[in-house]
Amino acid sequence: MSSDQDHLKQTDTEERFDFKKDSKEAFRSEKGLTEETIRAISEDKDEPEWMLERRLRALKQYHEMPMPTDWPGQPDLSEVDVDEIVPYIRPDVDVRGGVDDWTELPDEIKDTFDKLGIPEAEKNALSGVGAQYESEVVYQNMQERWEEKGVVFCNMDEAVQEHEKLVREHFMTTCVPPSDNKFAALHGAVWSGGSFVYVPEDTTVDMPVQAYFRMNSEGMGQFEHTLIIAEEGSEVHYIEGCSAPKYSAFNLHSGGVEVFVNEDAHVQYSTVQNWSKNTYNLNTKRAIVEKNGRMEWISGSMGSKATMLYPSSILKGRGASDNHITIAFAGEGQNIDTGAKVYHNAPNTKSTIESKSISKDGGRTNYRGLVHIADGAHGSSTAVECDALMFDNESTSDTMPYMEINESTVDVAHEATVGKIGDEDVFYLQSRGLDDDDAKQMIVSGFIEPITEELPIEYAVELNRLVELEMEGSLG
Amino acid sequence: MSTQLPASISEETVTEISAERDEPDWLLQTRLDALAALDDLDMPSVIETPGRRWTNLEGLDYESLVDPLDQSDETERVTAEGVEVLDFETAVAEHPALLKEHFGSVVDPQTNYLTALSTALFTTGTVIYVPEGVDAEDVKVRAEMNSRSLFSHTLVVTEDNSSVTILERISNGDGDVDGDRYFSNLVEIVTGENSYVQYGSLQNLDEDVYNFTLKRGDANTYATISWIEGNIGSRLTRSDIETELTGDSSETKIVGAFFGHNDQHLDINARVWHHGEHTTADLVTRGVLDDEARSVYEGVQDVGRDAWDTSSYQRENTLMLSDDSEADASPKLIIHNHDTEASHSATVGQVDKEDLFYMTSRSIPENTARNMLVEGFFVPVLEEVEVDELREDIDDLIVARLD
Repeated sequence: MSSDQDHLKQTDTEERFDFKKDSKEAFRSEKGLTEETIRAISEDKDEPEWMLERRLRALKQYHEMPMPTDWPGQPDLSEVDVDEIVPYIRPDVDVRGGVDDWTELPDEIKDTFDKLGIPEAEKNALSGVGAQYESEVVYQNMQERWEEKGVVFCNMDEAVQEHEKLVREHFMTTCVPPSDNKFAALHGAVWSGGSFVYVPEDTTVDMPVQAYFRMNSEGMGQFEHTLIIAEEGSEVHYIEGCSAPKYSAFNLHSGGVEVFVNEDAHVQYSTVQNWSKNTYNLNTKRAIVEKNGRMEWISGSMGSKATMLYPSSILKGRGASDNHITIAFAGEGQNIDTGAKVYHNAPNTKSTIESKSISKDGGRTNYRGLVHIADGAHGSSTAVECDALMFDNESTSDTMPYMEINESTVDVAHEATVGKIGDEDVFYLQSRGLDDDDAKQMIVSGFIEPITEELPIEYAVELNRLVELEMEGSLG
Repeated sequence: MSTQLPASISEETVTEISAERDEPDWLLQTRLDALAALDDLDMPSVIETPGRRWTNLEGLDYESLVDPLDQSDETERVTAEGVEVLDFETAVAEHPALLKEHFGSVVDPQTNYLTALSTALFTTGTVIYVPEGVDAEDVKVRAEMNSRSLFSHTLVVTEDNSSVTILERISNGDGDVDGDRYFSNLVEIVTGENSYVQYGSLQNLDEDVYNFTLKRGDANTYATISWIEGNIGSRLTRSDIETELTGDSSETKIVGAFFGHNDQHLDINARVWHHGEHTTADLVTRGVLDDEARSVYEGVQDVGRDAWDTSSYQRENTLMLSDDSEADASPKLIIHNHDTEASHSATVGQVDKEDLFYMTSRSIPENTARNMLVEGFFVPVLEEVEVDELREDIDDLIVARLD
């Protein structure tokens, strides 16, 4: 790898993520969180009464709940002042709910997504794309052949209108109720945009669908909601990408993801998260998996100032299974607190968790996981493996798994290792002509390979580039 | 603080305990400070996951459990050549300077509510002093508890280039007490350079005793502290075994074995802090649960910013014999220095069906086969025990429980 190529690649990627746009707004809510703000958002979206009621109830719960502050070693959230953020910005786009032709997007928004590489990905590898800018989805498209089979991929606001019965039944009721945690309640009050995916019985969507979330304005919060319903025997892969430019004020991202994996269905949910380093990423993601269903969570957490995110699966039906593959990279000033939660609530359920983390230049990563095996979940098994790679003694890497085992006929294993990058490995590569940086980069690429190989090639490339940039310390 | 101070405790009580033992002012003052701190101190931190606290220490009725002026124990102390093994009162009289220097230096009396309560009220305990160059084996402390509540404080001090193995055994005596009881045990170890301490403990209290124990050692340069912690008895045990690897090239081993049955609750914690360079820690715990017994395990390996060239390993395995039992575990790695090799692993499972089949197919009755497998499960832990008597005692208690 020549240094010229490196340089080109860096500038290319750096520009891809870290640029700002002057954007026009059609509607901007007041800062802070009051009933008036919630009513204004709901009215601007022309929502049915029941959704407004849910929002108001969530707002009430939000005010009643304390901030999470007493977890051992958790990120400092004292700077998170919800009254200082703008919860809702509707960009000035002609078509509410998003256009379905890329060329119809206003130039400044189109440019943004062009730079992020969304259109090429859509042409090449995806079944459908949704793109969210600030609080609203601005582009939404699904290949016709899937629409004909009854597959729905639309933005969440539209789903409230068009698929009211399904949404009313599933939206923040059993999977992620607002009472789950303070930020789930916040999300329930101010949510906007996001994706709705519905896959009918026995339908396999064999190319991934993708949503991309872009936060552009200073001091805003983004609260997109994703609801995926995979009916019996269906299969779908959903990919989510996120980014935001860097501003001096803090941004808040507090999304909600609910996945319903019905009998024999298979859902893969992949995320590559690269929020700018002033963003607090406090997300709630959960799947309910029925009999013999399979849920896979693949996540790469690169950006943000602080992340608290523990995608969770509730294995509700006999034989349900879960796979988690996560990678976290924390550079200077970053605190990535992430992990996985699995509740084995039925017999013969299986889960595997593979977690990798890299910390560098004072970054802090934490694997915080929970495996719960309920009384009666006999024949269940779980294997958790965490590996942490550290570059220096300014950085911190913690592993805090929790295991609650209420059943004897189970197989539970947890393993974690922490180590520095192998001096001998570096020496070996150097002796074959690589310089120190390239050698380390290559070792890191090998370290994260288990996750990159699960991702579609575009995402794998993106993740690798992001890691390379972090290694150079040249991002943000 | 949510727990109210038991009405039976006051400055007068504490002063009376201290005066009876003819204690120096500084010790009385330490007791009174601990008493005064009770209002502001929290219970030992307990693992929590959403919706539940894994051990309920707040729920105990300290008011009825603690009877400070009626403490009674029968403790046998066996010394070895060159080592001073003294009951606490004698040590106060004979080694005032040693006590003043080291008492509370490793276990801060105000660590939490229960350590402060123990410091304010302790009436029994042992001081073990190992002079420079002395190698001693088989120091024994066999304590029997004969009252509703008993508070004990043990201090071990080793000088440079010395070594000692200590066996502590805790059980109930013939004291005629009905109902719930409370036993509190604080142990601190101060080590000289290049000294070696193995401190083995076997707790086999009746199943109406609530048991709190905090043992902590500070390992000097080239020093090794090796802990064995066997927990068989009690209704509820909260046991914290901790080593601070302060000196360069210091080492520690924490070996735990527990066997819970009926509705016993065992909250077992093993923690190591790596401060010096080239330090090594090895944590091994094995436990078996039967009936409705419950175990909570936390293991912490904390590697400090300047702890270069650290090696730290932890393994925890739990065997569950009953569907009504529960095993909770949280092994934690907290790493601040990259020049570290650290790993932890935890497993929970049942008696291996194939092993059982293999043995029954060789005409061993199923029950016998199962018991042999459970006994065998403890072998990797028992192998670490250098004191023969301790190893045999633990094994005997395991066998007794299996019958």
